Amino acid sequence: MKEEFEFLFSLVVSGLSIGMMYSLIALGFVLVYKATDAINFAQGEFVMLAGFICAGMLAASVPLWMAIPIAIIAMVVFSFALERVVLRPLLGRPVVAVIMATIGLAAILRGLPPITIGSQTLTIPLPIGDEPVKFLGTSLAQIQVLGLVVSAACLGGFTWFFMKSRMGVAMRAVADNQQVAMAMGINVERYFAIAWAMAGIVAALGGIIWGSMLGVDTQLALVGLKVFPVVILGGLDSIIGAVVGGLIIGVVESVAAGYLDPIVGGGTKDFAPYVVMIIALMFRPYGLFGKHKIERI
Amino acid sequence: MTKQTTAWLRAGALAGSILASGPALAQDKEIVIGAQCDRTGPTQIVGNVLCPAYHHYMALVNKRGGVEGYKIKVLEIDHEYKVPPAIESHERFKKEGAIMTSAFGTPQLLALLKKFEEDKMPVTSPGIGSSAAADGKKYPYVFPIAATYWSQTGGAVEFAKRQLGGSLKDKKIAYMFFDNPAGREPLPLLEELAKSEGFQMRTFGVPSPGIEMGAQVLDVTGRFKPDFVIAHLFGRAPSVMIKELKGKGFPLSKVVGLVWAGAEADIIAAGGYGIAEGYHTIQYAGVGAEFKVITEIKEMLKAEGKTLGKEFESTVTFNRGVYQGAVHVAAIANAIKAKNGGKPNGEDLRKGFEQVKGLDPSLDGLAPPLALTAEDHEGGGWVQIWSIKGGKFVKTQDWFQGYRKEVLKHVEEENKK
Amino acid sequence: MFYREAGTFKTTYAEDMALFPLPITRWSIRVLLVLVIAVVPLVLHEYYLSIFNLIFIAIVGALGLNILVGYTGQISIGHAAFMSVGAYTAANLAVKLGLPFWITLPAGGLMAAFIGVIVGMPSLRIKGTYLAIATLASQLIIEWIINHTPAISGGAAAAIEVARPTIAGYELKSQRDLYFFTLFFALVAIVATMNLVRSRIGRAFIAIRDQDIAAEIIGINIYRYKLIAFAISSFYAGVCGVLYTYYFGIATYEAFQIVVSIDYLAMVIIGGLGSVLGSVLGAIFVTALPVVIRIMVETFGGYIWDPAALSAVAASMRLIIFGSLIIFFLVVEPEGLARLWRNTRNYFRAWPFSY
Repeated sequence: MKEEFEFLFSLVVSGLSIGMMYSLIALGFVLVYKATDAINFAQGEFVMLAGFICAGMLAASVPLWMAIPIAIIAMVVFSFALERVVLRPLLGRPVVAVIMATIGLAAILRGLPPITIGSQTLTIPLPIGDEPVKFLGTSLAQIQVLGLVVSAACLGGFTWFFMKSRMGVAMRAVADNQQVAMAMGINVERYFAIAWAMAGIVAALGGIIWGSMLGVDTQLALVGLKVFPVVILGGLDSIIGAVVGGLIIGVVESVAAGYLDPIVGGGTKDFAPYVVMIIALMFRPYGLFGKHKIERI
Repeated sequence: MTKQTTAWLRAGALAGSILASGPALAQDKEIVIGAQCDRTGPTQIVGNVLCPAYHHYMALVNKRGGVEGYKIKVLEIDHEYKVPPAIESHERFKKEGAIMTSAFGTPQLLALLKKFEEDKMPVTSPGIGSSAAADGKKYPYVFPIAATYWSQTGGAVEFAKRQLGGSLKDKKIAYMFFDNPAGREPLPLLEELAKSEGFQMRTFGVPSPGIEMGAQVLDVTGRFKPDFVIAHLFGRAPSVMIKELKGKGFPLSKVVGLVWAGAEADIIAAGGYGIAEGYHTIQYAGVGAEFKVITEIKEMLKAEGKTLGKEFESTVTFNRGVYQGAVHVAAIANAIKAKNGGKPNGEDLRKGFEQVKGLDPSLDGLAPPLALTAEDHEGGGWVQIWSIKGGKFVKTQDWFQGYRKEVLKHVEEENKK
Repeated sequence: MFYREAGTFKTTYAEDMALFPLPITRWSIRVLLVLVIAVVPLVLHEYYLSIFNLIFIAIVGALGLNILVGYTGQISIGHAAFMSVGAYTAANLAVKLGLPFWITLPAGGLMAAFIGVIVGMPSLRIKGTYLAIATLASQLIIEWIINHTPAISGGAAAAIEVARPTIAGYELKSQRDLYFFTLFFALVAIVATMNLVRSRIGRAFIAIRDQDIAAEIIGINIYRYKLIAFAISSFYAGVCGVLYTYYFGIATYEAFQIVVSIDYLAMVIIGGLGSVLGSVLGAIFVTALPVVIRIMVETFGGYIWDPAALSAVAASMRLIIFGSLIIFFLVVEPEGLARLWRNTRNYFRAWPFSY
C-alpha cells in the first residue's frame, strides 16, 4: 500500500513538473491570444527557432551568457517583424485566416533549418548537473527543476505586469474592447506588437529550456502540440489558466500513463488530456478561467 | 558584336539549356533509380543523412566506372512523410524510366504496395515497413534487404538472454514501444517468445510525439523493475528515454534499442555519450567511419574540392544509406549480367535482387553476410549489437541471427492469414 | 466584355433557378467538361493523371470541409479523422463481406456522417477557436480508437488491403482507369454541393454562419442544422477516405493524420471560404503547387545552387515557397482564390472601357 502511494506520489510530482513546462509554452500562446485574438499555430516552431538560434550561437563558440540574451533579442525582433509584415494586414479578418497564416509560417520555419544551419541535432548545455534532485522519496532532474523555476518566474512576472504596470493595464483594456481602448487614446497597434514581442521572449525561454532537455532540431517543434489541451482547459485568454491547465494536463497524462496504460495496453497519454478537455468544455465552454463573452446582435 | 546582342545570345543559350535540361528520358547506358525521401517531415533527421549518403555512394560507383558499363542515375523526391506526394513521386519515377524504387516510410510503402506489383517494379524498404514482407512468395516485389523489426526483436531477445546468463526463465522484460503500427509490430512475436522462453513481459506504450515519458519510466523502474528493457522508439523518444532512465538510476547496460533508437543524434540529444554510457543498440549496418568505402567517398569528395557535409557526422544513419546503395548496385549488376549486358527492366531487376549474395568488397565489415533468395527477401535478418562505451559506439556482438527459426515461423503464419 | 448579365433575359422560373444562368458560363463549363472528360485522359501521360487523381479526391474532401467551415462557420481541424472512419468502414466491408465499391463507398460516408454527428455535439455549446481545438481532440481520439481496436484496424499493422474497384468485371488499376473513377465522384460532389448550398438547408447554414442568434430568431433550429452540417461534411470526408482507400489499395490511418486535416483546412482557406469554386481551386493549389515548385527548383535551381545539393534544396524550398505563398495570398486576398477569380472576371466585364 505504501509503495503504491509512493508510486502515485512520484507520478504526480513528475506530472506537475512537466506540466509546469507545458505552461511555459502555453503562456506564449495565451499572451498573443489575450491581446490580439490571434491563434498561433506556429508556437512550437517559435520554440524551435529560438532553440536553433541559441544552439547555433553556442556551436559558433559564443559563450552561454551571451547566447541566451541574443536568442531572446532575436526572438523579439522576429516577432515584431512578423506582427508588422504578416499579422497586421490580417487584423479584423476571420479567425481561420490568422490560423492559416501561422500554419504557413510554420511551414517556412520548418523548411529553413535544413538549408541554413543543417538538420543535425544541436545541444544547449546549461551549467547544471546530471544528478537528479531527491526529495520525499522521489526525484526530479535538475533541468526540470530549472524549468519549474523559470516557468514560475515568467508567470509571476506576467501576472504582475498585467495587474500592476501601466502597460499591462493598457493591454488588458485593449483585450477587453479595442474600440473603447482606442477612444481612450491607447495605441492599439503598438500593444499588439508588444504582445507578440512578449510571446517571442517566452518562446525563447521555452526554446532554451526544452532545447537543453530534448536537444535542438526540428523535432523540438513538437512541443507545440502540447499547447492546445493546456490552453483550452485553462481558457485561451487566462495566464493563470495556462498554469493550472498545464499542471492538470501534466498530472492527467502522468496518472493515465501509470494506471490506464497497463489496462488498455497502449499509450493513453496523447489523448487522455483531450478527453479531460472535452469534458471540461461541456461544463465550462470557455475553459476554467477563460473570459465569458456576451454576444450581442 | 554589340553588348545587347551578346546579352540576347546569352539569354537564348540559357533558355535552350533549360529546355534541354527538362525531364529527359533515360539514356541508353543508364539505370534510373527512384528514391523517395523525407527531408522536411517528421523523420527528416534520418532522411537528411541517409539520402545524401545514398547519393554519395552512387556517385562513387559511377566514378569507379558504373555497374557493368552502366551509369546509375538517382532521382530523389521528398514526400515530407505524406502519402499523396509519395504516389505522385512513384508515377514520376516511372515516367522518367526508373526500374526500381527506394522507399522511405511505412505508410508510403503500404499505399504503393499494389502499384509496385502492378508496375512490376521492385522496391527496397530497409528498416521500415511490414516485417511480413520478408516473404518473397507473398510479396514478390518488396525487398526489406535488412533485418526487419521481427528479426531485430529476435536479436534483442537473444542478446538479453546472453546478458542475463543464458536463460530467460522467470526474468522480467519491459518492452517500451512507440504507440503506432510500426511500434506494435514486434508485439505478437515477443508474446510468443515470452511463452516459449518463460519470461515475463510487460509493454509500455509511448504515444506520439514521445517528447516526455516521465510516467512510463517511473512505471518501468518503480513498479515493474525489469531485468532487461527492449526499446522500439522513433524520433525524439529514444533520447528522452535514455535521459529519463538515467535520471531514475536504471542501468543503461540493461537496455537495448532497436534500429531507430540508436543513432548518434539520439545519444547527443540525450545529453551526450557520458549519459548514455552502457546503452546497447541493434544495427543492421556497421557503425563508425573506419570502413574502406567511407574513406573512398571522403577522398572522392575531397578530390572534387568539396567540403564534407554535416551528414558525415552521423555514421549510424550514413552507413545505412551506403549499405542500401550497395545492395541496389549488387542487384543491378546481377540483372545486367543475366541479360548479357542488355538493359534490365523491373522484372529482371527483381530476379537480380533474388540472387544478391555478397556486396561491394569495400563495404567489408559494414554490411552483413547478406543472401537474398526468392523466398527470403530479408537476406537472413542479420544484426549487430553496438554499445556506448567510453564515449563512442563499440561493437559488442558481431553479425548474428536472433531466434531465426521462430521469426521465420512467425512470418509464415502471418502470411497465411 | 465577356462576362455580362446584360442581354440575358429570363422568361421562366426554371431559367431563373438554373445553376449557371449566363450563356458564357454554360459554354465555358461545357468546354471544360469536354477537356477534362475526353481530352486530358487521352492526351496526358499517366504521371500527370496521377496528379489529377489526387486533386479529384482532394476536391471531394475540400468541398465537405467547406460546407462546414465556409458555409456554416464551424471550424474543424479533425477532417482527416472522418476520412479514416470512411476508409476503415469501407475496407472492412470490402474484405470481410466482399462488398463492391458502390456499396462500401456510401456506407463509409454514412458511417463517417454518424461519427460526425457525435463529434459535432460539442459545437452546440462552444464555437470559434474552442470548437476548432475540440475537433482536433476528436481527431486524436478517433485515431487512437482505430489504432487500438483490432476489430476495426485489422491487426497490429492497422492496415487493411482492399482489392481494386471493378466495374462489370473490369478492374480499374492504371492511373487512367482510376482517373474516370475519381473524376466521376468529384463531379458528383461538385454538383451536389452547388445544389445543396442554394437549398433550404444551405441557406440555413449561411444564416448560422453570419449570425447564429439572428438565425435562431427567424426560426432556424440551429442545433439541428449545425449537426446536419457536421453530418454532411463528414459524409464527404468519409467518401473522400474511401476514394483514397481504393486509390491506394489499402486503408491505413497513418495516411489521415493531423497534417492531412491541416492540408485540407489550407485548401478551403486558400481557395475561398464559402465557395464551391474555391474548394476546387484550393484542392488544385495545395496538391499541385508543391509539385510545380519542385519541378521549378529542379529545372532552374541548378543555376543558383550546387546541382549535387539540389535534392536537399528542392525539399526545403518547396516548404518555404509554399508557406510564403499561403501568407502572401492571405495578406493580399484573405477571401481566397475564388475571390481573386471573381475580381478578375469583374475587371473584364467592362474592359476595355472600364471606368
